[in-house]
Amino acid sequence: MTQGVIVGGWQYVWMAYGLTFSAFAIYGVTLLVRLRDAARRESA
Amino acid sequence: MLVAALRKELLLQWRTRGQLMAVFVFGAASLLLFSFAIGPNAVALRTFSAGFLWLGLLLSSTLTLTESFHAEMENRALEGLLLLPSNPRALYYGKAIANWLQLTILGVALVPVMVVLYDAGTTSLLKLLSIIILGTAGLSAPGTLYAAMTAQLKAKQTLLPLLLFPLIVPALLASVKATSLVILGDPMAQSGSWIGLLCAFDLIYWSLCGLLYGRVIED
Amino acid sequence: MEITKVNRSKTPYAFLALGVLLLAIGSYYGLYVAPAEQYMGNVQRIMYVHVPTAWNWMLAVLFAFGCATVYLFKGDLKWDARMEGGLEVGTLLAFLLCCQGSIWAKPTWGVWWDWDPRLTTTAVLLFAFLGILALRKFVEDPVKRAIWSAVATVVASIDLPIVYMSVKWWNSLHQQQSTPQTVASAFHLPLRVNAFGILFVMIGFIMLRTRLAALRLNQELAVPPVPSAEEAGELA
Repeated sequence: MTQGVIVGGWQYVWMAYGLTFSAFAIYGVTLLVRLRDAARRESA
Repeated sequence: MLVAALRKELLLQWRTRGQLMAVFVFGAASLLLFSFAIGPNAVALRTFSAGFLWLGLLLSSTLTLTESFHAEMENRALEGLLLLPSNPRALYYGKAIANWLQLTILGVALVPVMVVLYDAGTTSLLKLLSIIILGTAGLSAPGTLYAAMTAQLKAKQTLLPLLLFPLIVPALLASVKATSLVILGDPMAQSGSWIGLLCAFDLIYWSLCGLLYGRVIED
Repeated sequence: MEITKVNRSKTPYAFLALGVLLLAIGSYYGLYVAPAEQYMGNVQRIMYVHVPTAWNWMLAVLFAFGCATVYLFKGDLKWDARMEGGLEVGTLLAFLLCCQGSIWAKPTWGVWWDWDPRLTTTAVLLFAFLGILALRKFVEDPVKRAIWSAVATVVASIDLPIVYMSVKWWNSLHQQQSTPQTVASAFHLPLRVNAFGILFVMIGFIMLRTRLAALRLNQELAVPPVPSAEEAGELA
């Protein structure tokens, strides 16, 4: 693969992807937890 | 109907004019504090004087806008107003125009403070006045709408700036840029396009907020 | 009786699963298979998440705006539930967009923030949406909450193009816009796959968040149970 003028920089790439996917994961988990609590309160 | 609403607002403002004085002191104090944040650098202060003026005006507006609904909140006067066969749009424009006038007076009063503190004088006073008039109009229209909402809530002091500040970014940008060009010089005659942006913003928001106001104060 | 009908299907989970799969494929391709860009090197790979996030953020804002408008005309609270979904997911995407843009700016421009018009507009709208979410927390009456936040959403959404234009004029740094026309074709595939990936994840999230909002609305508006004859007799 050819190198561009900016050399390396993989840490930024991992930072960006890592942040995005973990944010989605955390949001998804909190959403499911909130949904489960609301459903439980509904049936109670 | 609009005239009656406007008369009432102006009368209320006249009766509480002491508060406007206090807000002016607040605004002037902010301008002073901004200069301490920058330091005694005359060139820097002059460069950013327009920004400081408008920031001071914006901060002061959160006080005047919230106060403008004080009378309605006492003794549930807002509901009384709605029972009258009145058009909510007239109520909105009456209040928004009164708030606009108040902010313009504040803006004009802060100009000498700015001139003294930042050595930011200008001879194009008419242009400066028109920018202040257009810029405060941009603050007053959405500000009155949001003040109507937040006045009914406990967290009104925090919510009004939180809602208003992101919204008026274009008006703030344009006002600061135009004012800055008036103070520092405008070799390429750019201030016209900024004033144009201000006019467009004002037109859009004065119509939009008037349309929406009825829904906001209905019970 | 439900004030607002709650959709209980499994569809959102299907969307989420499909979205995650597409994101895995697109990201693998973008990170390992696609070539490095001529000037920006490997840092350019951030675009494969950044641009799809941007497209989907705009869709989320459009969705929230649409639901707000429909609610103001129809008054049916299910549109308020949908708008709440759009607001929250839109806020998440805006936040991610600002972070990604910041991470992208540091190696390319040397600063964490470069006042790029699109990113700055996103930041302004992020604060606007946060304000609307805060407003919703402080209003207890569901109908008032729905009307006020719908009004605020309409006002904020209409502001979006105005903010963009004004920041564009105001900004002095110029940035090359990255749309598929200006990006070489080797880069199209991961971009498009990830775009659909985030789209499906977003749809799944909005559907679930709407479901949560509807459940909460029903609980808020629930009529207390009517006492039976014996209980009424005891109360008397």
